[in-house]
Amino acid sequence: MNVTQLADQLRRDPRFMENVTRWEVMPARPARTTEYPSWLDDRLKPVLAKRGIHALYTHQAMSVEATHRGEDVVVVTPTASGKTMCYNLPVLSAILQNEDARALYIFPTKALSADQVSELYELIEMMGVDIKTYTYDGDTPAAARKAVRQAGHIVVTNPDMLHSGILPHHTKWVKLFENLRYIVIDEIHTYRGVFGSNLANVIRRLLRLCEFYGSHPRFILCSATIANPKELAETLIGRPVTLVDQNGAPMGERHFVFYNPPVVNRQLGIRQGAIPVTRSISGLLLKNGIQAITFARSRLTVEVLTRYLKDMVRDPLGNAGRVRGYRGGYLPTERREIERGLRAGQVDAVVSTNALELGIDIGGLDACVLCGYPGTIASAWQQAGRAGRRQAASIVFFVASSSAIDQYIVTHPNYFLHQSPENALLNPNNLYILMSHVKCAAFELPFEDGDSFGNAPGMEEMLDYLDEEQIVHHVDGKYHWSAEDFPASEISLRSAAAENFVIIDISDPAHHRVIGEMDRFTAPMLLHENAIYMHEGRQFQVEKLDFDACKAFIRAVDTGYYTDADLNINLSLLDIEKEEQLPRGTGVGLGEIKVTALVTMFKKIRFDTHETLGFGHVRLPETDMHTTAMWWTLPKDLVASVPSDTLKNGMMGVANLLRIVCPLYLMCSPQDIAVVYQVKSPITGEPTLILYDNCPGGIGLSQKAYGARDLLLEKALQVVSDCSCKKGCPSCVGPVGEIGQDGKQTAMYLLRELIR
Amino acid sequence: MNLRDKLRAVGGTTGGTRPRQEKEEPRDCRHIEVFREAEEFSGALEVSRDTVSRMTVTELPEPFDPRRILYLDTETTGLMGSGTVAFLVGLGYLTDSGFEVHQFLMRDYDEEPYLLRHVEEGLRRFDMICTFNGAAFDIPLLEGRFLMNRMRGDCLQKPHLDLLHAARRIWKPRLKRCNLGRLEEMILGKPRSEDLPGSQVPQRYFEYLKTKQDYLLQDILDHNAQDIATLCVLLTRMAEMYEHPESIPFSQDVYAMGRALEKFHHPEDARKCFRLAIRGKTAADASAALAHSYRRAGDREQAAKIWRQMIASGRGGVQPYIELAKYQEHVLRDYRGALETTERAILMLGEAALREDGAVQETQNELQYRRRRLKSRLGKE
Repeated sequence: MNVTQLADQLRRDPRFMENVTRWEVMPARPARTTEYPSWLDDRLKPVLAKRGIHALYTHQAMSVEATHRGEDVVVVTPTASGKTMCYNLPVLSAILQNEDARALYIFPTKALSADQVSELYELIEMMGVDIKTYTYDGDTPAAARKAVRQAGHIVVTNPDMLHSGILPHHTKWVKLFENLRYIVIDEIHTYRGVFGSNLANVIRRLLRLCEFYGSHPRFILCSATIANPKELAETLIGRPVTLVDQNGAPMGERHFVFYNPPVVNRQLGIRQGAIPVTRSISGLLLKNGIQAITFARSRLTVEVLTRYLKDMVRDPLGNAGRVRGYRGGYLPTERREIERGLRAGQVDAVVSTNALELGIDIGGLDACVLCGYPGTIASAWQQAGRAGRRQAASIVFFVASSSAIDQYIVTHPNYFLHQSPENALLNPNNLYILMSHVKCAAFELPFEDGDSFGNAPGMEEMLDYLDEEQIVHHVDGKYHWSAEDFPASEISLRSAAAENFVIIDISDPAHHRVIGEMDRFTAPMLLHENAIYMHEGRQFQVEKLDFDACKAFIRAVDTGYYTDADLNINLSLLDIEKEEQLPRGTGVGLGEIKVTALVTMFKKIRFDTHETLGFGHVRLPETDMHTTAMWWTLPKDLVASVPSDTLKNGMMGVANLLRIVCPLYLMCSPQDIAVVYQVKSPITGEPTLILYDNCPGGIGLSQKAYGARDLLLEKALQVVSDCSCKKGCPSCVGPVGEIGQDGKQTAMYLLRELIR
Repeated sequence: MNLRDKLRAVGGTTGGTRPRQEKEEPRDCRHIEVFREAEEFSGALEVSRDTVSRMTVTELPEPFDPRRILYLDTETTGLMGSGTVAFLVGLGYLTDSGFEVHQFLMRDYDEEPYLLRHVEEGLRRFDMICTFNGAAFDIPLLEGRFLMNRMRGDCLQKPHLDLLHAARRIWKPRLKRCNLGRLEEMILGKPRSEDLPGSQVPQRYFEYLKTKQDYLLQDILDHNAQDIATLCVLLTRMAEMYEHPESIPFSQDVYAMGRALEKFHHPEDARKCFRLAIRGKTAADASAALAHSYRRAGDREQAAKIWRQMIASGRGGVQPYIELAKYQEHVLRDYRGALETTERAILMLGEAALREDGAVQETQNELQYRRRRLKSRLGKE
């Protein structure tokens, strides 16, 4: 059975269709192509022809032309639309015409680098020319590094290696820096939040060095579909870019099915789990010989689903090679083998974490099943994009879990399909991040008086501060690095706080192993002594938390409960940036706050029933965090119109709703942002709802929220109005037990009044 | 909250502000000269090109004059990266009357170009450079500094003898660690007392930058001058060893030297060392190396003679039997002799082969295979 037949069959099945909240059909789209540009090196065309490429898709042509004109470009393309051409063509063409020319490719992960290099190798080999493409990352053997530095035409690396392995040693990379023509950054949508803010500063450092060496590289950036690719690209590289977002690749008809598992317990509002539903849908595809990828959110779910599907197709010897799992932690060779199997059609079903979401080439598949919402629209489209044939039809199933966000998406398919207000945000001028990179930059090349660093404000003050702290030394108009440290080793690009806690499993006394790390602001919540810490579905108990050494020692346990720490948060105002009084009397503000967090006790909660089994004390020091926040102060007459207990419940409900909608509309993960309510706020002295960036210094979420404050409230109201529960449930304002009998009603009242 | 307060909150503070120092435009860096008497360096002027060429693969200058070797050592603010600066560069050379060390110290960062210019001028007057670990550290670091100051660093492109590598080849087996201090103590017999640990050098310099108190750098300067002088003494001592291997007391050192000579294609000298090392702990290895050297040179007869000697004196285990059997089979075509040697080897290995040692098992299998082949050859005859 093919996809079209299967779709017809399902649509005639009322038992299936009663759980489908939306069946969207996206019509087929023909290819739009154009001829090769005239400047393209002649040696490239026959090689492309051999690979079956005789013309460029319009988006490829627009991109390479813009690059050829000397513009910085960002190309937005869905999966498998041939975006690699957008950078490989200009880069290869430039090197063919001038063998001194160099290019730097930056990919977010090693797996992607490997994939890209193999494709480049193929093209280069077919041309029979001497263009050296090397990967330079943690796996590059020491003996090969010298050759990479001196002879690599195309150096493929990742942000972390660029930051700590290349830039601080730039004098060994003279050839690269002097002749750098193109900087390619792929998958830029992954560079949001802290990671993106760090990369933007790494780019500032890179450009500073290029200027020193006299090169003027151009950028070619690629992004998956997000709302603000141009803004993101411009913030990342600090220059204007040309946006190319008209996809010219052909696409067969696509079906997008939103499936909400049926309610099995109406009183408690409990739905059938997403995993068993995914199991039957993926199983149905497998039985019908439709090649499909299933995305699950955790590694554990991947393993469980893989086993279910393998069991369906095992031969008498127990082999089930047609079904494969794929996730981080598999060996690279195994991953490559699975990718090849998918391309060659030897693998019919693969179950994956988001590891396969990025641009690894596995060809287009017939179908895709999303077991749970991956958290952002961009991710969801990336994953869904794995299904899509150029000619034939394809189908995507989104199976919602019972979490609030999943329920929002499945009951508001329009939000997902049409409105796409997601933004990727980053803040290169986050003071914590900026200062770390200014140090690295000073190490790499002394700052001169009046030097700028991207558009970072207050450079002179910052350098003078570093001078006072004897980290740099000002003499003769220059700030020289004058500390013994190697500053790049003190920053991890993927989190803001310098020091992370390492989590050490001591279950096996002979073999302690590090199984993870956690930032210092979250550690007291999840790693306090006697906490139950979950890792890959396994339970561990924290035996000891060495706060000064930033180490948590855990031991595997098997208990019927988990723990939930009570976090006491105190907010104090440091600085007000903006303040407005809205007509209705609502006050809104934006500013910097200090968040003091103190964990004093935790609850033990039984699995399944969620009853509290007991309490424990936690003795840990307070942690401080400076960050940005925005807030709404409720108008006095509104406050006066409800009893104070009712007001508290209503505010709690609104805060819960904002926690649901903010990650969706600010495009961040739920843990990037915090929403609290205070009946008498120390910040304003009034009943206040406060939203703040949950990372030191902030990454701009509060600013964005300040700009979108009405939209956020409207969306919050929409969620609660559309929810079918009577008095509150986890998918909207929170369960009745938490917000009281009048919580939902009051929350709606407050929201309506605030929006009015 | 103003930016300064925020910076303090973000970065922490060590307290206290430092007044910006007013400073005159520098015209030069500090220059220190140290002269050392000749007796310490006796023999140094006699070091010949021929001898040095046996220590290294570096192409040496021609004509060769020990007075035209520049000994170089740097003191730096760190270990790696382009933010690391050589704040002190010491250059030393032999003269007819002794040894001169010229040290160039930057009293602040703005003196770096002057320091580098002195280094450049110094280097220009010499034919080759001698350092300790300079190939991996001092030279690339200086290259980077020239580059950062937009100066040409081609003066560094000279024949370069890195004594760390030369010393390691000889003393690593016996001494394990081969840093300069240890060599001074163990080889030159002059232990250094009250030396400043290298790890404290950067901190001292930063302290000096702040206070400009000269005494802070005194032991760094002394240490640097001493290191440079030691380089010359060490080279002289090594040259003597190469010329008179028979005077080397430790057979391990002679054997290691032989291996280095063999590797750098001086087989005659290598064999001399191997012969001298056929004693004590190195007897078996030296014999095998000697035989191997002959075989490599194509003199299989000499090699066979040594294998026979090894078998006679019970040195080197089963390996000489195997080598001899190969020689008998393939060169002499003495299959009977080869068979006999092989069988003796099998007997010798017999007991060891019962142990679960993969390598021994494999050797045993090879021997059995050789035995079958020899038997069938004998059968055909």
